[in-house]
Amino acid sequence: MAEEYKIREQRPYTYADGCGKSKDMECRFRERKMETMDRTFAQGLQCQEINSIGSLLSLEDSVFIIHSPQGCIGCSVTSVDRYRVGQAHRGKKVYRSPRIIVSNLDQNDIIMGGEKKLVQSILAARDRYNPKVIFIFASCASGIIADDIDGIAAKMQKDMEAIIVPIHCEGFKSKICASGFDAAFRAISKYILKDEKNPKEEGLVNLFAPTTVSYKDQLEMERMLSLLGLRANYVPFFSSLEKMRKMTVAQVSTSICKVFADEFMQELKDKYDIPFSHTVMPVGLRNTDSWFLGIAKIVGKEKEALKIIEQEHKRIQPEIDKIKSRLEGKRVFVCGGTGRSFAAALLIEDFGMKLVGLETPVYDGDAQDDIQYLNKIYGDFIVDIANMQPFEQVNIVKRLKPDLFIGVPHWSARLGIPTTHILEGKRPTMGYDGILYLGNKIADQMENPGFNKKLSKYARLPYKESWYKEDPFKYIKKVQS
Amino acid sequence: MPQMLESPRGNCVLGGINAVLAAVGRLCPILHSGPGCCMQITAGEVLQSGGKIPYFLSGVSIPSTNMLEREVVFGGEQKLRDEIQGCLDIIDADAYFILNGCTSAIIGDDIKNIAEDFRKKNYPVYPIETPGFAGDSFLGYEAAFKAFTDYIVKESKIKQKNLVNLIGIMPYHEPFWEGNIEELTRILNALGLEVNSFFGYGQSIKNIEKSGAAALNIIVNPWLLKGTQKTYLEKFNVPSIRFSSTPIGATDTSNFIRKIGKTLNIDKNLVEKVIEENEKYVYYFYEQAIGKLSWKKFAVVGDANSTIGLTKFLANDYSFTPVVSIVTDSLYHQSDKDEIEKEIKNLEYIKPPKIIFESDYYNIIEELKKHDITLLLGSANEIEFAMEKGIQFLELTFPMTERLVFNRCIAGYKGSLTLIEDVYDNL
Repeated sequence: MAEEYKIREQRPYTYADGCGKSKDMECRFRERKMETMDRTFAQGLQCQEINSIGSLLSLEDSVFIIHSPQGCIGCSVTSVDRYRVGQAHRGKKVYRSPRIIVSNLDQNDIIMGGEKKLVQSILAARDRYNPKVIFIFASCASGIIADDIDGIAAKMQKDMEAIIVPIHCEGFKSKICASGFDAAFRAISKYILKDEKNPKEEGLVNLFAPTTVSYKDQLEMERMLSLLGLRANYVPFFSSLEKMRKMTVAQVSTSICKVFADEFMQELKDKYDIPFSHTVMPVGLRNTDSWFLGIAKIVGKEKEALKIIEQEHKRIQPEIDKIKSRLEGKRVFVCGGTGRSFAAALLIEDFGMKLVGLETPVYDGDAQDDIQYLNKIYGDFIVDIANMQPFEQVNIVKRLKPDLFIGVPHWSARLGIPTTHILEGKRPTMGYDGILYLGNKIADQMENPGFNKKLSKYARLPYKESWYKEDPFKYIKKVQS
Repeated sequence: MPQMLESPRGNCVLGGINAVLAAVGRLCPILHSGPGCCMQITAGEVLQSGGKIPYFLSGVSIPSTNMLEREVVFGGEQKLRDEIQGCLDIIDADAYFILNGCTSAIIGDDIKNIAEDFRKKNYPVYPIETPGFAGDSFLGYEAAFKAFTDYIVKESKIKQKNLVNLIGIMPYHEPFWEGNIEELTRILNALGLEVNSFFGYGQSIKNIEKSGAAALNIIVNPWLLKGTQKTYLEKFNVPSIRFSSTPIGATDTSNFIRKIGKTLNIDKNLVEKVIEENEKYVYYFYEQAIGKLSWKKFAVVGDANSTIGLTKFLANDYSFTPVVSIVTDSLYHQSDKDEIEKEIKNLEYIKPPKIIFESDYYNIIEELKKHDITLLLGSANEIEFAMEKGIQFLELTFPMTERLVFNRCIAGYKGSLTLIEDVYDNL
């Protein structure tokens, strides 16, 4: 039985706030001397509910009920967009939108309880769309007033064909939004898979994908797996109840993002005897190799994989060299989600660039593995354990003056620094060809920085000049227990 | 009372407040709420309005106490005080507004008292107590205006005769708000008026402060800001004139100008001259596209302001046939519905469309299915239906996710030209 953590903060040695030099951090983490910190001033965070909803919204035969006031469905728009654009890329003539119902808790419900509205929402979901699955997502409000979503789900399940799946993703329960992925998978396991054991299908791989993976990237991952004689059960992005049920008959599992489905893959191993490969996001040469080798090893095709890797390197190395000649020696600051930030930090090695700063939402054992390697190739660099916190970011970036910023560009672009992002949910960024797409994009954007340079003359940031003279980490304080 | 809604158009109260603060600029929201609200209220409102991202603070740059279990159990007031102090130290804003998330409101943190403590030390920190769960973004819009009239607007005994406040166009909830405000301001300027529009390029908290010295509020909305209207009259002695929709095209815009001219006793010759010049300009172009757009049987789905304005313009000025107009605002007063209905029915020549009040996605689509239409003007929510039916579709109302809108306008004289350019297609 997998060890179950309700939220990621409960995993051992997992930190969501902190700062320092990378070598010192590596050392402190190794010696178990990292401390739990908090910010006495902070900007907003992503909540776990956003991740729970986002990861499932593209399931085609489902209805999604958010048991909350009207605000807590706000971020679903980004997943709706990726789902719709994804359909366009998959050649659909009509783009379907997910069916999302908000129970719309109000002042009255906060006092009296909102269970009646949840029941209405479930009935509406059934009557309107006759779905195969009805997901219920909890919110801060429903959690604090203690609406019994499990009880209601169980009660209504008796007269309902659709499988009702309540998900405990109350925002205030965790500061690490990836906890929402775990909450979603935990519910899928409990209500959909239900420990039913069926015979395995030889060659079938559970390929876990979050919503930020483009169709081109899906095709590339599937192509690479096919070289090993494997075929993908692509879940939960662009999938269905049937594909989710198939998860238990796969031969092996792997994920496209290291913070996605990691706990769940362990559970599939423990309950259904499905081994898994937990490596990294296949962005950049090193990461793509280790992602590919990881899965190959488990199916006993390491030799074949090494041969393929050699061929692929041979194929693209001349192109990488061309890009390298344009980018070598340039200094880079990277900010992203946990998976992407480390992927970007490793990608730039292919082009001979140098990492000077890294923002990552979480520091844990996985991060430590990457940091050890990064320290070896780049030497010391700044690490900010932060889920964005743009006020810290602009302060650090202004000091470090990197040649390139990789991440959400809104703030650094205003400083006149060339910016780009490796998170492009609509473009090819993964596997061996993805390296060339990203490399050429980075090189072109670095060589042609006119927009940001001109913009910086007029663009405004909301901070006082005095802030840029302060220690960027002055608000990070040790938590008093 | 709010009911469950499928694919609602808009966000919670905080989404509306955030949109208002963002549209003014240099106003700092401080979220006393759980993590996530910063992104939810931004993505759920301002980011579904033609792709723009507010320049000052939005999404993850909004200061937030990110309340977790510990605050829920032990209270979050100290955390809020630290957060406010941090904001004052590093955010270069004209004023700071504390927003009350579900989490803090349910546990009962006293944001009013905390704001007052900071104001005693002369910091411009204000509470907006209406919590997230109290309603939708429309209510948030009104709550933000209440905060303005409670704390920001200055009383002024002497009125500036040519100063007007142009309010009622909800920033971001009307995706063309910025361009529409620009166009109406251009027209009012031509009448010799100075305009406080609060929102958009060149406006700031200063315009809100001096709105108490205005001669008139021009409220462009059939139902919003009735409380604000009353407060301006009683507290600041500023009367209001209300228009039931954003004027689109020559007929409505000229009526708009005449009514304001009359109310403010503006020289009739000037009024008529402005109208004539603008109408000439519009028809100079219309004349060059005669027969270019074939006859359309159209439906409109959107907020009250846009739905009334679009229906009237296309029916009265462009001789299209209105089939059904669906007003999507959640309205709780029959009198508001009656007013809107009266306005849409008041067409010059043609039989009025069927008028529906509906906020729920499923019910809206079920209604649309009943009608034979060839043109649908609506939001991103209706695209799927239009694709299925194979009818012409134009995305004009909130939520708008498939186009980027800077200052494009559909209001007034110039906007009607842009709108017709967009309605044209060659299929």
